[in-house]
Amino acid sequence: MLAVAVAVAVMAPLAQAAPKRIVALTPFTANTLVGIGVKPVGIGQTLGGQKRLSKKLDGVRTLPLSHPNGPNMEQLARLNPGLVLSSPTWRKGAPTMRSLDIKVVMSDPDRIAGVAPEIRKIGKVVGRRKQARKLAASVKADIAAARKGIKSRPKVLVLLGVGRTPFAFLENSWGGDLVSEAGGDLLTAGLDEPGGFARISDEQVLKEDPDVIIAVPHADEDDIPGITKYMRDNPIWKVTKAGQNDRIYISNDNSLLQASTDTGKVIRSVRSRFLKN
Amino acid sequence: MVVRRTLVVVAAAAAALAAAAVSLALGAVDLPLSDVIDALTGSLGEGSTRQIVLELRLPRTVEAAAVGAALGVAGALLQGALGNPLASPDVIGVTGGAGFGAVLILIVFPGSIALLPVGALAFGLLAAGLVFAIAWVGPDAGGVGKLILAGIAVGALFGAGTTAVLTAYPDRVQSAIFFIAGGLSSDGWRELEIVWPYFAVGFVAAICLMRPLDRLALGDDVAASLGVRPRLIRLIAGVGAAFLAAAAAAIAGLLGFLGLVVPHVVRLAGGTSSHTFVVPVSAISGAALLMAGDTLARTVKAPIELPVGPFMVALGVPLFLLLLRRAV
Repeated sequence: MLAVAVAVAVMAPLAQAAPKRIVALTPFTANTLVGIGVKPVGIGQTLGGQKRLSKKLDGVRTLPLSHPNGPNMEQLARLNPGLVLSSPTWRKGAPTMRSLDIKVVMSDPDRIAGVAPEIRKIGKVVGRRKQARKLAASVKADIAAARKGIKSRPKVLVLLGVGRTPFAFLENSWGGDLVSEAGGDLLTAGLDEPGGFARISDEQVLKEDPDVIIAVPHADEDDIPGITKYMRDNPIWKVTKAGQNDRIYISNDNSLLQASTDTGKVIRSVRSRFLKN
Repeated sequence: MVVRRTLVVVAAAAAALAAAAVSLALGAVDLPLSDVIDALTGSLGEGSTRQIVLELRLPRTVEAAAVGAALGVAGALLQGALGNPLASPDVIGVTGGAGFGAVLILIVFPGSIALLPVGALAFGLLAAGLVFAIAWVGPDAGGVGKLILAGIAVGALFGAGTTAVLTAYPDRVQSAIFFIAGGLSSDGWRELEIVWPYFAVGFVAAICLMRPLDRLALGDDVAASLGVRPRLIRLIAGVGAAFLAAAAAAIAGLLGFLGLVVPHVVRLAGGTSSHTFVVPVSAISGAALLMAGDTLARTVKAPIELPVGPFMVALGVPLFLLLLRRAV
């Protein structure tokens, strides 16, 4: 009886501390929440479409996001959240959210190794530690399974955006790390810039001669044929192995840009669609 | 005075030749100098070294020289024609228009990315056309004040359009950063093939205007008494500068600083404002400055390429301030 009373006394503040109304601004935090049995009252509009969001999030209010603050603060306040799971991308909006008495927690891993710890962190914040541990273990196991049986390690150049010399994904970006984990030998390996992206000299591209070029253009489906043709006509890229062997690909969702709980699935997709390893 | 001018011409030409040589010799990939020379003289066989020198470095060096010369001459033409030391391609709306055209393609129509130089060129010229149309209609048609005010208004209009596009597509902004910051690319000869006629028209106009601009510098009334039609000269100079600046923006993005500073550096160094001196030496100096800046931008953190704008400022501003200090 005494033990029960003590347990109730200890758990009560924790239960009170766990916020009930939560807004998740990134696909990672939104999918993590529903993965541990918490339905948010609002989610952020995902760049590149909502395809990667869990079906359990259907019908949840979607907030448009824009630089530099993230959500419109009036729309956010209307949802009356106690907690916002945000991203460093929208860091500038955090002080305003806090001034509205909203707790803000940043959680958007930019490396695969950060996925499981971040899931556990969210579980702790929302009072679902056990479920979070289970989900983190499941995600880790899925990543390990997705990496099994890698037969070859093609040299890969991953590009962001369009333009005459687009930015390349570095190892310290989500997409760069993901392609490396999928068995790609990143052409930009060894380079490190704070943002995870850098404009790479075409001389280096010619010298390294990538087997595969993957472009993440941020474009509508209608634009893909034009972008693909432009890339394949690039006088330098078309003489690389990727150009010669017709292995210049477009990735038009946000799977190489933003983390989520489907990391294993994305690794399998990268292996089968692009790396063929 | 003649000795001083000759020295400036020789120094500018030597700087341009040195910058071109360094631009061809240095890059992200270390190549022996002998291989670079062999590639340029055609005595190197097929292979990546030949490709790097002939398809990457050579077109880029030529582009840098052409863009630098064009912006230097555009600035000299506008400062001379408007009698205003602050005149640059920004003033006639070209920079704002070209920026809008490029951002429109990069952000809204990325599927038509091959049209990027055409978009920048077309909107740069459209903006300049609007400025001239507004400035040459109604009272005080062709007046300097009216032209500058029209340029500021049209530039603001296109600048607002650019901001609106960037705001509407925040996830695509990355594609436009390098164009806005200003920078050359290793895109072979494709862009020069599109814009060279506009460079040609602009340079020919500049050559033809050197003496009329000197007369215009004496004041509209004196110039008119010497047989020059001030408003016509201003219009031709403005159109020539618009062609040069729009073609430059189509290749290298927004590098307005160069057009503003280079003619001043040339005037201060040569001790004269004569356009027969300022226009050609601005072309050589602009070419030298951009070739040097671009080489720095693509080698300092190689193989990462940085925007060229900050490097040009780092190279040009100390020289400009030094000359300005001596002149005052």
